[in-house]
Amino acid sequence: MAGLPRRIIKETQRLMAEPVSGITAVPDEHNSRYFHVVVAGPSQSPYEGGLFKLELFLPEEYPMSAPKVRFMTKIYHPNIDKLGRICLDILKDKWSPALQIRTVLLSIQALLSAPNPDDPLDNNVADHWKTNEKSAIEQARQWTQQYAKASINNH
Amino acid sequence: MSGEVSRQMSHVSEGSAMGSDGNSSEDLDEDDYYMDNYDDLDLDCPSKADDPEYFEYEPLQVIDAERMLNEEIETLCTTLKVNPSTAKMLLFGHNWNKEEIIDNYQRDPQGFLIESNLASRRKPDRLVGAKPVCSVCCREVNPDRFLSVACGHMFCRECWDMHFQTQIQDGITTGIECMAKECSILVPEDFVYEILTQPKLRDKYSKFSFNDLIKSHPRLRFCPGIDCAVIIKAKECKAKKVECEACGAVYCFKCGLNYHAPTDCAVVKKWLTKCEDDSETANYISAHTKDCPRCHVCIEKNGGCNHMQCPSCKCDFCWMCLGDWNNHGSEYYECSRYKENPNIAHESMHVQAREALKKYLFYYGRWENHARSLQLEEITRENIQTRTQKKVMNNEGTWIDWQYLFHAVALLKKCRYTLQYTYPYAYYMDKGSRKELFEYQQSQLESEVENLSWKVERAEIVDRGELENQMDIAEKRRQTLLKDFLEV
Repeated sequence: MAGLPRRIIKETQRLMAEPVSGITAVPDEHNSRYFHVVVAGPSQSPYEGGLFKLELFLPEEYPMSAPKVRFMTKIYHPNIDKLGRICLDILKDKWSPALQIRTVLLSIQALLSAPNPDDPLDNNVADHWKTNEKSAIEQARQWTQQYAKASINNH
Repeated sequence: MSGEVSRQMSHVSEGSAMGSDGNSSEDLDEDDYYMDNYDDLDLDCPSKADDPEYFEYEPLQVIDAERMLNEEIETLCTTLKVNPSTAKMLLFGHNWNKEEIIDNYQRDPQGFLIESNLASRRKPDRLVGAKPVCSVCCREVNPDRFLSVACGHMFCRECWDMHFQTQIQDGITTGIECMAKECSILVPEDFVYEILTQPKLRDKYSKFSFNDLIKSHPRLRFCPGIDCAVIIKAKECKAKKVECEACGAVYCFKCGLNYHAPTDCAVVKKWLTKCEDDSETANYISAHTKDCPRCHVCIEKNGGCNHMQCPSCKCDFCWMCLGDWNNHGSEYYECSRYKENPNIAHESMHVQAREALKKYLFYYGRWENHARSLQLEEITRENIQTRTQKKVMNNEGTWIDWQYLFHAVALLKKCRYTLQYTYPYAYYMDKGSRKELFEYQQSQLESEVENLSWKVERAEIVDRGELENQMDIAEKRRQTLLKDFLEV
C-alpha cells in the first residue's frame, strides 16, 4: 500500500476490524482506492432480503472530494437511476472532508429505508412513488426478488 | 455619468468624425432630434421624470469597480469596527445592504455574526496529547500546526490547504465552508490567504472572489457582451436598458438578457424558453414566403415593412394577415389581436391543445416576424448609407443634410424593437380590459411602425417633413405604451 494516504489506510483497517452491520466493504486486490461493497436491504423496507452490490472509488482528491459510489445491482428506487447513480446530498454539495466511507455507506443504507420521491433522480420511478406508493413499493419488492438475490450468486 | 449624457456625448463625437462611423447615428434618439429641430415649437419633449425608459448608469473598468467595492468594505469596517474580511463576507451575504447590516449588527453583534455563518457559540476543539491526530488526514501533527475558523473545528494546515485547493478548482471562493461535517461556518479570505501556498491558486482565488462580489452586488453587472471587460454601475437594480459604450451590447440591467420592455424579466425568460422548445414546429409552420392573396404569385419578403405590394398584380396587402392594406388604417387592430375561440371551455382536450398551439403560433409568428424585419431594416440602413455617400460625392447636399434619414432608421428600429417585445407580454396577459387596452395600443404602435417603415424604404421620394412627422407619431405611440405598461 505504498503511496496510499494514511487516512485511507486507517479507514480501510477500521472497516475490516469493525464492520458496520449489514454492510461489507472490501478493497480491490489491485487497487486500494476501489472498494467492492455489498449493502443488505434494510428490514421493513421493500429491499429487505436483498443484497445490493455497489462500487465505491476514492478519487485522487479524497477526502477533499467525495467518494464516487454507484449501485451495480438493479434497484427500483426514486433516488437511484438506471445506471445505479445515487442522488444523495453528501455525495455532492454537502460533502465534508470529515465524512468517511463508513458514513457514506450508512447514509446509502438509510436512503433505502426512506426513499425521497420529492428530490428524484429517476422521474418515472418518483412519479410512480407519488401517485401510487403501494404499487411502487410492490414493484421495488419484486425487483429485489428478481435482481438482488441473483446478482450476488451470479457474480 | 447618466445614460442621457453618454448618448449626447456620442452625438458630439459623431459630428466631429463626420460620417466615418455610420453606427454612431444609431445612438441618436428622438430627444436630440427634438432639441435640434423643434426648440422653438415648444413640443413636449420627454423629460427625465416622465421618460419610462430613463435609467442612470455608468461603465466602470475592473480597477474602478474594485475601488468602489473596497470603499464600501472600508466604510463598513470603520462603522462596525470589524476586519475587512468579515465586512466583505457580511456585504456579500446580505445583498450589499449596508443600512440593514449596520442595524442588525448594532442590535446584536454576536447573534448577527452567527446568523451570517461568521461566528459560533461552539466551544473550540481541545487538542489532546503532544501530537494530536488531524481527523481529516489521520496523521499525528504538532499542535502549532492546527488551525480553525470561527467554529473552532481544528484541522491541520496541510488539510486546510488541500481543502482550499479543491474548492477553488471547483470555482468556490467566497462560499468556502469549514471542513467539519454539517458545519456551515464560512472561511474568511484572510484565513485562506494565510494558508494557501500555490501562487497560481492565490490568483484564482482573488479573481473568482472578485467575480462573486460583482455578481452579488445588486447595482453592478458584468457587461454580457462577448469579451467585454466593462462593469456597469447603476443607481438602482431595475429592468432598464443599458447600452455598453465599449462593445455596443444592449441589454436589461436586471437580468442581463436582451432588453425587453414592456415585458418583465421573468416573463421574457419564460417566453424565450418556450420559443426554444417550440420553435421547430413554429419555424415549420411560419414559412418565409407567402402567396399573394389576389394573384397567388409566391412572394419573398425582402424588406422590413409589413405593407406588401405584389410585384405582379400591384395589390397592397398586409404580410401578417394577408388582408387588404387599404382597410388596414382603421382596422389594424384586427391584425395584432389574437381572437380566442369563445367556446374553448366546452371543447375536448385535443381541440384545446390545438387552440393553445394556434395561440402560441400567432404570437410567436409576430415576434419572429418583427425580429426578421429588424434584420432587414439593418440592410435598409446600409443601403441608405451607400446611396447617401453617392449623393454627397455628386454634390447633392452634404452629409449633414442627409442625417435625418439615419435618424429615421434608428428610430424605426427602436420602435420595432419595442413592438417585438410587446408580443410575449400580450401572450402571457390575462384576458380582460387591461389586455384589450394593451392590444389596442400595440396595434396603434404596429400601424405607425409599418407606416414609418414604408416611408423609410422610400425615403428619397417621401417628403422630409412627412417622414419626420411619421417619426414623431411612431415614437409617441411607443412612449404611450411604455408609460402605461412598463413597470417603473
